[in-house]
Amino acid sequence: MVTIAFHDLAETNAASRGVPDLRICYTPHPVWGKTPEEMYAYLEGDDPVTHKPLMPEVISALTKPLTEDEKKTGSVTPPVGPPTYAGSPDELQKYYMDNGMTDFMPIVIPTEEKVAAMLKGTSHSPDEHVGDLTPARGAFPPWSFNVHQVAINAVMAGATPDYFPTILALAASGQSALFSSTNSLVYAAVINGPIRNKLNMNFGIGTMGPFSQPNATIGRAWGLLSKNLCNGGLPGQTYEGSQGNVVNYSNLIIPENEEASPWDPLHVEKGFKKEENVVSLFFGFGIQQAQGGWGLGIKPVPHYQEAMVCNCVPFATIFGALIVADPLVANGLVELGFKKKADLAAWLQKNATATVAQLKSCLFSRPPMGPAAAGLTDDSVVPKWYRPDAFNFVVAGGETNPYHQIANMSYRMSVSIDKWA
Amino acid sequence: MKRRSMLSLLGAAPALLAGSKLDAAQKKSMHSKHSMGAGDKIVGLNPRGTPPAIQLIPMAPRLKTLDGKTVYLISDGFPGADVFLNEMKIWFAKNMPSVKTIYRLKAGGFAADDPKLNAEVKANGNAVIMAIGH
Repeated sequence: MVTIAFHDLAETNAASRGVPDLRICYTPHPVWGKTPEEMYAYLEGDDPVTHKPLMPEVISALTKPLTEDEKKTGSVTPPVGPPTYAGSPDELQKYYMDNGMTDFMPIVIPTEEKVAAMLKGTSHSPDEHVGDLTPARGAFPPWSFNVHQVAINAVMAGATPDYFPTILALAASGQSALFSSTNSLVYAAVINGPIRNKLNMNFGIGTMGPFSQPNATIGRAWGLLSKNLCNGGLPGQTYEGSQGNVVNYSNLIIPENEEASPWDPLHVEKGFKKEENVVSLFFGFGIQQAQGGWGLGIKPVPHYQEAMVCNCVPFATIFGALIVADPLVANGLVELGFKKKADLAAWLQKNATATVAQLKSCLFSRPPMGPAAAGLTDDSVVPKWYRPDAFNFVVAGGETNPYHQIANMSYRMSVSIDKWA
Repeated sequence: MKRRSMLSLLGAAPALLAGSKLDAAQKKSMHSKHSMGAGDKIVGLNPRGTPPAIQLIPMAPRLKTLDGKTVYLISDGFPGADVFLNEMKIWFAKNMPSVKTIYRLKAGGFAADDPKLNAEVKANGNAVIMAIGH
């Protein structure tokens, strides 16, 4: 039984798991939030696909003899189309777009010459296996891909060969930037190490905006390869975000402003050496500007940490908090006594609180459970997150104003870029 | 059913299916008298990854009737599935009282296997109706 909103997903998923004729009956959508009486009315009504009474359809699915197709064994390999496409530049733009291979922005046509040039950006062999990707791990079987296939997507995104190792590292992470969930989730990639300067990445004014070729095209390449390397990003089939998210166009690419930061850069916190080049991934609901938080007006030094607490009040605790602080904020926090990022994380974990009732009422938050819940009432005030490492900090920005942005996102992993050079 | 078979045999999106059709159309166009000169054309590479072969799984034999049988009603845990299946339990009690229904919540995430529950169903059940939210 599947609700009608997931019709295409259910059929694609059943097929990809080897049961193409799985007998699926459908109810109206949603079941969530409906009363028992409304649910019973669904059962007494029609299947919205066949337009026949639902329960007789269910009983038939369990009792009607199998067809020959339903008994089939063996294996099939999904086609991925021809290896090349020929046409005028305009025809090819339309072809790639119409066949779901773009983000609906014009692409650079990946000719053999351009892809060959891209491949010069790495020492790795074109046919070397890079990794596996799936639109949603567990739901769809992963597809595999090699260096050459990643290079094609990198060209399409407008990247240059020197960006290629970073794009390979993102691909090798196995994390689709278009993860399929009804929540319209986003990914962020924090880039650390000397490569930020080598690629002339923008970690100053407008760092997270559309003001830099490497920032923009590395992020876009991650999105395109998340579609093409695993059949992802097809609304209704392999992408279910109800409203979508504009960040998915180029993803959140954040090169850390290590030079202006008073703290250790993120990759050092994660166990890498400062001279290593690393991309660290975050995943969650998205990012918001936070300069309106209270505490900023306190003189002589704004209490940035209080604004951070204020701005993570609406956050769900299923994800942590990624705080992107302008260098002015980071240096101000050092003046306030937060000598290390860990000091600030500990303070925020203690002071970002909610009542037990508030945590119970949020779908994606959890109140304390088991022994931790002993003696607590709905009015008890508790930390929203149980561990300081729910908070991560990146310093980025151009010091035009002491602002920060705050994301309801969790750290996933760090991947070496140098490995793919 | 044809559409379902097509989608799943290929395990792929309609866009992928369309790829081969468009390719054929392209080839036709290239050989037609209206096609452009060779110098105007460029060749783009296919950016797709490599899908795994899909092993077809034959479906379990069907029952001749549900009379006197035990049907497991299994929720994958999405909100509302429990209420929905409870109403289905009531429906069977009212309309097909000879059918015994047992409700279970599958362990793990929506895509995770639950071997313990599978074993229970194999041992005690004759059929399964699984509800997948929302």
